[in-house]
Amino acid sequence: MNANIHSFESLAALDGEGIRFDVFFTGCPLRCVYCHNPDAWFRSKTDMSAEDVFRKAKRFKPYFKNGGGVTFSGGEPLLNAAFINELAPMLRAEGIGYCLDTSGSVPLTDAVKTAIDGAEMVILDIKFCDPDSYKKYTGGNFDYFMAVGRYCTQKNKRLWLRTVIVPGINDTEENADRCAELVKEFKFERYELLPFHTMAFFKYENLQLPNPLADTPPMDRARLDALSARLQARLAELRP
Amino acid sequence: MKNETAWRGFREGVWCDGINVSNFIKLNYTQYNGDSSFLAGPTERTNKEMKRVKELLIAENEKGGVLDVDTSKVLTILSHEPGYVVDKDTDIIVGLQTDAPLKRGVSPFAGFRNAVQACNAYGYEMSEKIKNEFTYRTTHNTGVFRAYNDTMKKARHAGILTGLPDAYARGRIIGDYRRIALYGMDYLIEQKKYDKAKLGEKDVLDEETIRLLEDLAKQLEFMAQLKTLALSYGYDISKPASNAREAIQWLYFGYLGAVKEQNGAANSIGRIAEFLDVYIERDLKEGVLTESQAQELIDDLVIKLRLVRHLRTPEYNDLFAGDPVWVTLSLSGVSGEGKHMVSKTSYRVLQTLYNLGSSAEPNITVLWSEHLPQPFKDFCAKVSIDTDSIQYENDDVMRRMYGDDYSIACCVSAMKTGKQMQFFGARCNLAKVLLMALNGGKDEKEGVQIAPEGPVFDEDVLDYEKVVDAYKVYLKWMAKLYVNTMNIIHYMHDKYAYERLMMSLHDTDVERLMAFGVSGFSVAVDSLSAIKYAKVKPIKDERGVITEFDVKGDFPKYGNDDDRVDLIGKELVEYFYKELCKTPCYRGARHTLSILTITSNVMYGRKAGEPFAPGANPMHGRDCEGALASLNSVAKLNYACCQDGISNTFSITPEALGRDDANRVDNLVTMLDGYFQQDAHHLNVNVLNREKLIAAMNDPTLYPSLTIRVSGYAVNFNKLTRDKQEEVVARTFHQRM
Repeated sequence: MNANIHSFESLAALDGEGIRFDVFFTGCPLRCVYCHNPDAWFRSKTDMSAEDVFRKAKRFKPYFKNGGGVTFSGGEPLLNAAFINELAPMLRAEGIGYCLDTSGSVPLTDAVKTAIDGAEMVILDIKFCDPDSYKKYTGGNFDYFMAVGRYCTQKNKRLWLRTVIVPGINDTEENADRCAELVKEFKFERYELLPFHTMAFFKYENLQLPNPLADTPPMDRARLDALSARLQARLAELRP
Repeated sequence: MKNETAWRGFREGVWCDGINVSNFIKLNYTQYNGDSSFLAGPTERTNKEMKRVKELLIAENEKGGVLDVDTSKVLTILSHEPGYVVDKDTDIIVGLQTDAPLKRGVSPFAGFRNAVQACNAYGYEMSEKIKNEFTYRTTHNTGVFRAYNDTMKKARHAGILTGLPDAYARGRIIGDYRRIALYGMDYLIEQKKYDKAKLGEKDVLDEETIRLLEDLAKQLEFMAQLKTLALSYGYDISKPASNAREAIQWLYFGYLGAVKEQNGAANSIGRIAEFLDVYIERDLKEGVLTESQAQELIDDLVIKLRLVRHLRTPEYNDLFAGDPVWVTLSLSGVSGEGKHMVSKTSYRVLQTLYNLGSSAEPNITVLWSEHLPQPFKDFCAKVSIDTDSIQYENDDVMRRMYGDDYSIACCVSAMKTGKQMQFFGARCNLAKVLLMALNGGKDEKEGVQIAPEGPVFDEDVLDYEKVVDAYKVYLKWMAKLYVNTMNIIHYMHDKYAYERLMMSLHDTDVERLMAFGVSGFSVAVDSLSAIKYAKVKPIKDERGVITEFDVKGDFPKYGNDDDRVDLIGKELVEYFYKELCKTPCYRGARHTLSILTITSNVMYGRKAGEPFAPGANPMHGRDCEGALASLNSVAKLNYACCQDGISNTFSITPEALGRDDANRVDNLVTMLDGYFQQDAHHLNVNVLNREKLIAAMNDPTLYPSLTIRVSGYAVNFNKLTRDKQEEVVARTFHQRM
């Protein structure tokens, strides 16, 4: 089976434990206004088999000693769940684990469940914390993402949560509180807020795509830290 | 020759019966497996001295990079009265090249014209006295040009061979300065006298024997001078050192004598930390030294090493940016018995970067092995992240070739300490040789025929096999010319600018290495890949010389862990090395090769003026699968045919390396382990933001001691010229969006 690949990043240190080899798939069901990989919405010229990707990933095994491994990202990796499931046994045989870096915005099919079952960790991007904003700013289905989060919790999967904070859209204390409230039913290890940045604007220009946030400034670091503190405080209150 | 006082408490071995520092270290060093928590901060005295040093450095910078030059006399071991940073009582390790800190001396032995120009460049005039002295004296430079043939001159002029040490001193020789501390000068002199007497009794005194006899006489003369130098500072180094302070002082006198006598391109100090640790440990045990005092001694040694200066021409600075001396100091590694050689003094040397602030010199080089203890690896990574001042070289690979008591000279050149020396050989531009092959032996810049005439490629699309065949013909020609050029240079250097003191601190039957080098590596490799996998049409200019190319289609690029192109590079180096080995070297030297460019001083071709990637680095912006893919590409190069080193410089932003300090340390250590486990050779590590460099470029006062690794060495960023700064900024930074 082939998958359409956007690119690889051989030194990704933030998408899971240790040093990660990131595989970026193309294709995404969402159209987030702040997307920093709009180039992954479209098919690339690169189709690769599971063996091809495996051979590449294996080359980085010497760097996986401190808990590292492969991270499937994108685009939306779970659109390629069947491909991942074909690749997973090869990785497993080499002692290489994988993470999913996903928005969870796909129907929870058997293939998706298998991909989650096989992962050592899921990094779940919580795009927005209420169904209306979710629909408005991503075009996606809030219920899909909730189902994936609940499935991970039910399966005791290691789970990291992330939300991008965008000035003027979700940079409020109320939103931080809402996020905390939303995830209280999930079992997770950490919940990080990430700052919106403008470093990907050039991609919109190159692709001649309208950039809905062209006039939005990068997220202020201090403000982000304040919101993170708020979130962590609320989480501490809500979680036993 | 037992010495009851100086050697008290040491474990005896063969080192007691003849010069064998390695054996002494292995029998006496104390392995340290703990962490950095024992380290001491700077003492009040150290801070006082550093305050003076900082003032001096600012003054030097304000005067355009040279604080003062003594043009009245030639700099040699005994040319100047003692000098101090603060004063005789405050400096605890003493000795300066001239009578004042940062005052440079004139050393015209390698090239007189260069020395005159260097004086003039900074507004000084060489004294009549020196001019008169050199009127009837042949320098190395004069000797070389007497013997060069026309082709050598053309190849040099066209920049196919660049940076040749034919007008400046060759450097890269490391005296085993530890011998002075362990044995005292008198014993070393006695040994040399014995060697000379024995040699003089040989049945046949052939040319090489006579040359060596004269060498030994020169060595002995300068060994005596070194004793006098030490006496002028109030120390008698004829006997072995009896405590840590003396050991450091004795050793430093040796190094000081060497940098007074010689202004070679690289003056490295060798593998000294674990040796000195033996003395420090003994003093600590005897209760005559505290940790703070031990650190103070190392701090003061390092202060002195940071103040070493040579007078260079601006052209030389263009070649070797940032006024480096390459006081390379190699640390740790593993013994042949598989025991790691990390001592507390390995830590103390690294600690100087905190106590004295980050710095380009000494060029601290960690001999990395998977067997180093984890806390030491972690500390190294932390120091890298905090200071960008250290480099890493793979001990597991070098130990196989050089044993367990080698030192690094310059950037990446290993040699057995005191047992091997190197004839430094600059580099040959492989990219230019490729272009020359396409142009039938003509140099593209001047349009002159340099190599034998061959067919000019005028096909619409270059045929890979044909190009490779022609390239091989010209590489063969190049290799022969290169070895012969180097033979002339080192014959003359031995004759007119012999390193008397440094060589006296080597075994008499020293093994010689001749270190060739290649530059333009990634450009040559990517060009070949383009010809093989895309359609490349050569474009001729009005002279009929190919200078540009039209490339249609995509091709694999070096730096993405893609065998299709990486193996082209591997085979290219292997082929060139084999060809070099076909022409014998002067004085029976063994051929070695490096992939190392200092900064990219060679520019040509399509986008004339665009700098090359340094060393074995992939071309900036062409490695698009991230840092580790790039490292994996470089790791494929074969150290067995590049035994003079494969340099790789790696820059990453802190955010891309990890989410917090602990995580960054953890990831950097894992990365180094993973890279070196694949038998890679060398890595410079910079953890910084491009924005910080740009800010420093615009306002140097923001980061006065900003240090970055460039290519096998570190520089103070502010000492680079604007165009070199821009080049550094343009290099690939691995970052995360």
